[in-house]
Amino acid sequence: MAHIDRRNFLKAGVTAGAGFGVGLLGPQSLIPSPQPPALSIAHYKSSPADPDGIAEEAKRLTRQAVDALGGMGRFVSKGNVVWIKPDIGWDRRPEQAATTNPDVVATLVEMCYQAGAKKVLVSDNPCNPARLSYPRSGIQPAAEKAGAEVPFLDERKFRRMSLNGKVLKEWEVYQDIVEADRLINVPIAKNHNLCLATLGMKNLMGVIGGARNRLHQDLGGTLADLAAFLKPRLVVLDAIRVLTANGPVGGNLADVKRKDTLVAGVDQVAVDAVGATLLGYKPDSIGYIVQGSARGLGAMDFKSLSPRQIEV
Amino acid sequence: MAKKQKTSWIVWLRRLAQTGFFLLFCYLFLQTVYHPINQAGRGVTFFFNLDPLVALNSWLASHVLVGAMLLSLVTLLVTLVCGRWFCGWVCPFGALHNFFTSLRGGPAKQKLEAGGYHPWQKAKYYLLVAFLVAALLGADVVGWLDPFSFFFRSLSTSIYPAINKALVAVFTWVYDANPGVGPVRLTLVTEPVYGFLRKYLLAATQPYYLGSLLIGSLFVAVVALNFWRARFWCRYVCPLGGLLGVVGKNPLVRLNKHQEKCNNCRLCLVDCQGGAAPDRGWRPSECFYCWNCKSDCPAQAITFNAGGRPDAH
Amino acid sequence: MNHFSKWIADFLHPPKEARLDLGRRAVLGAGLAGVGAKLLFGVAPEASKRTFNPALIRPPGALGEDDFLARCIRCGECMKVCPTNAIHPASLEGGFGGLWTPLVVTSLGYCDYECNLCSQVCPTRAIRQIEVAEKQKIKIGLAYIDRSRCLPWAYSKTCIVCEEHCPTPKKAIWFEEVEVRNIQGEKLTVKQPRVDAELCIGCGICEVKCPVKAPAAVRVTSVGESRNPENQMLLSSDSYGVG
Repeated sequence: MAHIDRRNFLKAGVTAGAGFGVGLLGPQSLIPSPQPPALSIAHYKSSPADPDGIAEEAKRLTRQAVDALGGMGRFVSKGNVVWIKPDIGWDRRPEQAATTNPDVVATLVEMCYQAGAKKVLVSDNPCNPARLSYPRSGIQPAAEKAGAEVPFLDERKFRRMSLNGKVLKEWEVYQDIVEADRLINVPIAKNHNLCLATLGMKNLMGVIGGARNRLHQDLGGTLADLAAFLKPRLVVLDAIRVLTANGPVGGNLADVKRKDTLVAGVDQVAVDAVGATLLGYKPDSIGYIVQGSARGLGAMDFKSLSPRQIEV
Repeated sequence: MAKKQKTSWIVWLRRLAQTGFFLLFCYLFLQTVYHPINQAGRGVTFFFNLDPLVALNSWLASHVLVGAMLLSLVTLLVTLVCGRWFCGWVCPFGALHNFFTSLRGGPAKQKLEAGGYHPWQKAKYYLLVAFLVAALLGADVVGWLDPFSFFFRSLSTSIYPAINKALVAVFTWVYDANPGVGPVRLTLVTEPVYGFLRKYLLAATQPYYLGSLLIGSLFVAVVALNFWRARFWCRYVCPLGGLLGVVGKNPLVRLNKHQEKCNNCRLCLVDCQGGAAPDRGWRPSECFYCWNCKSDCPAQAITFNAGGRPDAH
Repeated sequence: MNHFSKWIADFLHPPKEARLDLGRRAVLGAGLAGVGAKLLFGVAPEASKRTFNPALIRPPGALGEDDFLARCIRCGECMKVCPTNAIHPASLEGGFGGLWTPLVVTSLGYCDYECNLCSQVCPTRAIRQIEVAEKQKIKIGLAYIDRSRCLPWAYSKTCIVCEEHCPTPKKAIWFEEVEVRNIQGEKLTVKQPRVDAELCIGCGICEVKCPVKAPAAVRVTSVGESRNPENQMLLSSDSYGVG
């Protein structure tokens, strides 16, 4: 499908070109101007216990982490249709850390509109019924309040597309998300018994339909294929509350730990590597991170990207 | 044949009531879904609470009565006074049968034969007895033929899923085929309509139910039988109708025939819903108080009032 | 007022048109039919308490079977409201008398962990009104792994979708890491799932999400259901007060 390939080409072109374009402007440019960072890690100094405190934490961390990358204007242009893909997979409350923090999502919605987006949509293809997980996760009310459209996905819009991956040649992908101008992936860091941790690349499973329960037979390869096909413009990893055991569904509040951290980046492999480290796993022990890195989708050694580290 | 009369205002009122309760039932049916967060739409239980057959059987079989079921006492009390008004004015399943009955074509003579009282109308009383005895012994199976259970079960497992599937198929076909000329596509109209339907009418995901073929077929058969005998279910089968017929066999408000005006044209029989034989004697336990006979009588020989006498013979 | 007093009097001496004309023998016959029906229902094997139907999985909060059948009016409200399309009308799983009563069919839908909608709507409280916290402790059945079909057990492939979806706070499915060989003769380690019979509540999400189809490699049967002290297998089950 030429349309899809062109969009991927454009996406790849922009991320690669951002660094080079500036340096062609003349003698002054022989001194390379500072490039905007590819990765930022924001950490909150305190760990408030009350819901209002956590909400405030989420909002401030999100703003600071994205601003540290150069602001949302770097990723969203005027008139864009932006699709935000949080984890709304499970019929769980926000404090159970099975779904993305709703205030992180709401803040990203606001920032997109402030950067001039025409329309911001928030959705997921969840494992529990969407009618249940959307409200209980808090994401639907928070995102709608911030002005986003939060649709339940329409069965008719899953279209078979050529992924041309190493493992997946074709798969049913949600058409509207692929055709949107920008995709922002907003996962939450959780333990997972098969791949150790579910982070951004695994979160992309919410963009596809079909027999997703078969992907586990080769998660490393299939998720790398998905990541290569979808290439989100920005990944924001919620590590404020993380699920350290019995993931990805959780349920026991004792399994939820506060890391009070938010990771934002354009390199989806690096973001996942940070997330793995935060959960206590080595990035090279996670199949999709290794394969993503091997295929040139990003850097497993995130320190090589000189991430901006901020204390909020 | 004497000319058909202008329809009485009370018949219009009755039709309004039937339509209203029918639409209310359908609306409450659609509301029986998940509402955020974790709230079930329970409005339709109002109808089950009005139903004295459910209350009676539940109590007989389990010796327990859910408090809200005491609402059915209202139904019984009014039935004591006004007979089977419930069947004529309230019951949404009855309204459905009434509607299909009214679609019947054919000359008045055919309707006369199919519409008059038939001894098989006693079947519903025998069914009622069988159900009550079974309930007394602990087998509460009246739900198989209770009108609200039958209607709701048929709708939820068979009819609504079928309607849902059909509508989704139509809109999906238009979406996929995308007919139109240049920028003017049919989907410009159909997609907003589909969005509206998804929000207010269609199911979140297409439901499929085991046993739906049998349940749906029975529903269609029962509704189709209205073309053979008027309000077939209500006259011959409905155990709630049977219960209300027993309780309402001696109502205060009765059919009153002015014998001197009646010329035995039998037009009162043509649209009689309950098969109450208004032309010869009038059977209160079969009368739905639909007021069709009063409205149709060219001689205005029929009225309904307290202590009326049928006096036909 | 004289209409009114005549009306009252007519209850004691019904006039001709008030009679229903039900034949005495016919009424007796109808009553006997009711008795006969009850007897017929009573000789289904489930009534013996010696055997149990593995497919007779009732929604959580359902009363014991005798009480359930005495209250359920087969209205279908629970079937309509269930957000996962898990509740279906029974055919003969509960005997003849159980026709069209609600059944959780785990090959078609699962019982969502945070939901109690069926218990909210039941008009006769055949499904008791219970809070979600209580529902989460009720077992409606028990899952079992079909090792002849499960991908890591039978086909040397990685999976764990069942465990991934298991909603209990401590997962009711655990793993043994086992070294197996695939068809090429290569050695690999797979995680073979096992069900924790104490923790599993029989919700069925494992069966619904299992990639193996028709039938799934993990399935739920009714054994272990909390509402039936006879249909148990564990020494630790409540009926004997152990554990």
